[in-house]
Amino acid sequence: IGKQNTKQQLIFCIANIAAGAVVCVESEIRGDVTIGPRTVVHPKARIIAEAGPIIIGEGNLIEEQALIINSYPENIMPDTEGVEPKTMTIGINNVFEVGCVSQALKIGDNNVIESKADLGKNVILTSGCIVGACCQVNTCEVIPENTVIYGSNCMRRVQTERPQPQTLQLDFLMKILPNYHHMKKTVKGTSTPVRN
Amino acid sequence: MSGTVQMEWHQTPGNQVDSHYCPSCLENMPSAEAKLKKNRCANCFDCPCCMHTLSTRATNIPAPLPDDPSKTTMKKAYYLACGFCRWTSRDVGMADKSVASGGWQEPDNPHTQRINKLIEYYQQLAQREKLERDRKKLARRRPYMPLAFSQHTIHVVEKYGLGTRLQRQRPGAPITSLAGLSLKEGEDQKEINIEPAQALDEVEPLPEDCYTRPINLPEVTSLRQRLLQPDFQPAGASQLHPKHKHLLIKRSLRCRKCEHNLSKPEFNPTSIKFKIQLVAVSYIPEVRIMSIPNLRFQKECQVLLTLTNPVENITHVTLVGCEEGDPEDINSTAKVMVPTKELVLAGKDAAADYDELAEPQDFQDDPDVVAFRKSNKIGFFIKVVPQREEDGDVTVSFKIRHDFRNLAAPIRPSEEGDAPTEAIWLTHHVELSLGPIIA
Repeated sequence: IGKQNTKQQLIFCIANIAAGAVVCVESEIRGDVTIGPRTVVHPKARIIAEAGPIIIGEGNLIEEQALIINSYPENIMPDTEGVEPKTMTIGINNVFEVGCVSQALKIGDNNVIESKADLGKNVILTSGCIVGACCQVNTCEVIPENTVIYGSNCMRRVQTERPQPQTLQLDFLMKILPNYHHMKKTVKGTSTPVRN
Repeated sequence: MSGTVQMEWHQTPGNQVDSHYCPSCLENMPSAEAKLKKNRCANCFDCPCCMHTLSTRATNIPAPLPDDPSKTTMKKAYYLACGFCRWTSRDVGMADKSVASGGWQEPDNPHTQRINKLIEYYQQLAQREKLERDRKKLARRRPYMPLAFSQHTIHVVEKYGLGTRLQRQRPGAPITSLAGLSLKEGEDQKEINIEPAQALDEVEPLPEDCYTRPINLPEVTSLRQRLLQPDFQPAGASQLHPKHKHLLIKRSLRCRKCEHNLSKPEFNPTSIKFKIQLVAVSYIPEVRIMSIPNLRFQKECQVLLTLTNPVENITHVTLVGCEEGDPEDINSTAKVMVPTKELVLAGKDAAADYDELAEPQDFQDDPDVVAFRKSNKIGFFIKVVPQREEDGDVTVSFKIRHDFRNLAAPIRPSEEGDAPTEAIWLTHHVELSLGPIIA
């Protein structure tokens, strides 16, 4: 743990982690990231705010090796002047399963992004959507509510009920994770640089 | 020598249905019951949307107590859900059931009665025609139905039946219910009359907004979803009901000529072993490619192959190149020089791994030909000269000739004392694909 702390010290992050959120120290959070209460961030999850801040709501579940990245668009170099930072907003009760990659700038509530799914930059998820395992969604569109994207051809269908929020799982994790991992310090409100 | 020694290709041996089982609950079903249930499992369902297996999930719903309607207690309600596309039985309006299994009803087909009546009529017709044909053929009956055949093949005789080898579909004739359900001779044959189908002049008109109404794309079923339910063929996704899962079969294979059983699987669906498994791999030496050097156009390369002996006695193998105009040699794109000497393979010794003090058998191998020898395997070189400079794999072919002793032959009382089993020499055509030419 000592070695890991020194490595973490090199990563300078401005993270507002609300009280009640459980964020493991082994997760990588870079840039201006706000995490709401009751959100659980597993170890090895990565939340990287390169081209703008990321605001994550409450009750979200971000599992191992998930990557939430607010990256620069492909044709713009990081050093270009005059590029406005775009904020990525993620709503409440979303689940980012193991190994998924999300670059979508706007994600609503109660969505489930299954393992190894890949969301492009121009997708906007509304509420109740389920992006199936290994599905790549890189179209430029707003996914309507309660859509399920599944299969190797990314077939779609609409379901009648939205996926249930994972309250049981969240409660369990919030109890168990602190027993086995160190947590990042929660800071209320002010954005002070937090060194881990 | 009794019994035949013959290689059978996979397609030609007689295929027979051995047993039916459900792939998800692994329940065995006797053939008669399977036919009755139209080859579907009673307990398992398929998702009508993505065709995966549906699983039963439970939720707690508050329900009023029977004694005291004002108080509510949590009762379990079950619904079907697909783990892949997240379809649930609630999507089509099927109410949750209070029992975990067996509560799901299939929707009724309004045409069932008419179809059943038609089936009965045609069964009777087929029976009558069969009797007439049998009466004509009684004089010159040929023994073309050996006793070894199961009752499944009997319906090759029936007019509306399918032979197990004749997989032709006759359009317009109901097939499944006819096989095996024939009336016994002498039974009273009730005359069944059917009304002919009525042609109607008036057809229901299309709805007025047929051309102008915007399509709700998620509601439209795909062709595959529609055709998997041929009795309803719903156009809307809200009418897609789950179907029972299709059963799978285990096949047994027979030799065409001598009706000997070649391959008979275990009856238990959870077991993948075989009761009888007579496969060529366990009798014929196996050629495998061990290492291939860089293949160059019209340059001689040495390829290392291995020969493994699957039987327990010593086998002698001779390799011969293919001759010009060999009808089996169609794919080879390179010239090959095989070793001319006879290769000797030691028998497979099951205890060889454990016996460290085993004496290595002295075979006096020519080091130019034999690269190494290890229990029942040898490595040997062949020389390959690719002849065609094209995209695609270099293919070589040659013939392998080995001696085969049929140890499964029945023990005969031999007059000359203990005569060893005779060896038969078999020749096989071997084709190897060695990969592309590296320029």
